[in-house]
Amino acid sequence: MTATRPLLEVRGLSKHYFGLTAVDDLSFEVDAGAVVGLIGPNGSGKSTTIDCISGFQPSDAGTWRLEDLDLTGQPPHRIARAGLTRTFQTVRAYDDMTLLENLCVAVQESDTVGWLQALGRGPRLRRAEAAAEARGRDLLATVGLAEYAEAPAAILSYGQRKLLAIAASMMARPRLVVLDEPVAGVNPTMIRHIEQVIHKLNAEGVTLLIVEHNVDFIMSLCSRVIVLDAGRKIAEGPPGLIRSDARVLAAYLGKARAAELESGHG
Amino acid sequence: MSAGGARALVVLAALAVLFAIPQFTSHEYVLALGVSFAMFSVLSGGLNLVYGYTGLLSFAQVGFFGIGGYAAALLVTELGWSLLTGAAAGGLLAAAVGLVIGYSSLRLSRHAFAIVSLSFALLCLIVARDWVSLTRGAMGIPGLPAPVLDLPGGTRWRIAQPADFYYLLFGFAVFAHAVIYLVVTSRLGRAMRAIKLNEPLAQSQGINPLAYKLLAIALSALLAGIVGGLFVFYLTIVDPSIFDFYYTETMLIMVIIGGPGSFWGVLLASAVLAALPDLLRFTTDLRMVLYGAVLIAAMLLFPSGVGGWLQQRRIARWRRPQPASQ
Repeated sequence: MTATRPLLEVRGLSKHYFGLTAVDDLSFEVDAGAVVGLIGPNGSGKSTTIDCISGFQPSDAGTWRLEDLDLTGQPPHRIARAGLTRTFQTVRAYDDMTLLENLCVAVQESDTVGWLQALGRGPRLRRAEAAAEARGRDLLATVGLAEYAEAPAAILSYGQRKLLAIAASMMARPRLVVLDEPVAGVNPTMIRHIEQVIHKLNAEGVTLLIVEHNVDFIMSLCSRVIVLDAGRKIAEGPPGLIRSDARVLAAYLGKARAAELESGHG
Repeated sequence: MSAGGARALVVLAALAVLFAIPQFTSHEYVLALGVSFAMFSVLSGGLNLVYGYTGLLSFAQVGFFGIGGYAAALLVTELGWSLLTGAAAGGLLAAAVGLVIGYSSLRLSRHAFAIVSLSFALLCLIVARDWVSLTRGAMGIPGLPAPVLDLPGGTRWRIAQPADFYYLLFGFAVFAHAVIYLVVTSRLGRAMRAIKLNEPLAQSQGINPLAYKLLAIALSALLAGIVGGLFVFYLTIVDPSIFDFYYTETMLIMVIIGGPGSFWGVLLASAVLAALPDLLRFTTDLRMVLYGAVLIAAMLLFPSGVGGWLQQRRIARWRRPQPASQ
């Protein structure tokens, strides 16, 4: 039996801010096709972890790779081109551009059209742009924003901006998408909608790593959950096991309350 | 499509009128205004590419302009180069300098670039004044000869009359704006706008901000350097005043009133405001004060310029028919 390599493999990731340890020797994997959740209390190092692996924060130690590509220490645009894209906790969009432009710009660095070809507007560029536009319209339909394709992103509501960001992160057909708090601050109806969108995208073969505070959302969506506390991995496994893990309860609720619950159940 | 067709017609009509002006008048004042418009429109168009599209506040344009002017003047008078090769070399030198200051400061931050570009412009002035063996110091290089161009077809065009300079700068301005337009309407321009609007998002989508910023800086420096190289032969002198802050201020007013990131807005503002220096000539002492007043008024009344105002209307139009649907 040959062990297949995981899609994302993080080994020994560490990050300190002025002596404060944000991530401490963290190792984890994400298998192709999976939806993996990364949870933990505030300040447990979730955001730092994904900022490091997407190149937005320099790490102090550790390596990470996307299948056979070593991404350690690469700048964000290289990591994105290698197939690891992400969304941001503070929703980011190009407000002055239309939704369709927002999506087309997200894919333009992943085709082979060079700068001179882009200026020359030859058939190759036109084919690439037509393909981008078609995919953009598809994804807008998937997330339910098709009617706003030609509208500037500035008119979108907060939840709609989250959907646009998810669509943009999918444009270049990445191998792994990291969603940073996709439903934080979103109303329950929109949360269900985003959940369906993620289900649909995963069914189409997209691998996802999701950072979220909303535990119910993570538990219903993920096949595997990684729990961080104080920069360390304290638990990992399927949602059902994580829910009843004593260390997880202690991290979220405090040791006393967790023990109380434990004895109450036992 | 019809809006695009109408725009093309307006542009063609404007070009025809501008082309015909010297046929109807040889009034030096009118032609001088035309030269001033052509020159400033290239400078502000370049600044718009860097500041309006890519989001980098730059005070370096005047430095590129002057470097082009000095390089062309020296190459033509000392080494006997032709006007076009001299101006082209001036433009290339300016672009190379732009790449150096861009590459060294942009790795820090946008603010670092703004400060470095300002220091660079001031440094140019000092070098022009004090490196006497090269630039001949405060006296400058006067008496630049009337250049001669060998046109295809064997005719020699001696550029001596105001109308000749009008056509020379008009021709180059049309070329420069065509290049800028080609860039800003391409996906390169889209990437520049993306970087200005949200740099981390652009990075997360595989866009390398440094490459696009350097492209914008180098292209604007190239065009500013060439226009500087042509303009000094119109003045017939290049001296340290070519690095005067007045050029920077005029460019900034044109871009801010026209609307940073709006190609047509900035071009229109250059046309209207090119007349400003001469309209304010009655009061040379107060000119800078009045400029400042115009800039402050523009910032208060039109914070994102004519182009920004049009964009606001576009957004408002989308907001109206759809009542909040969250």
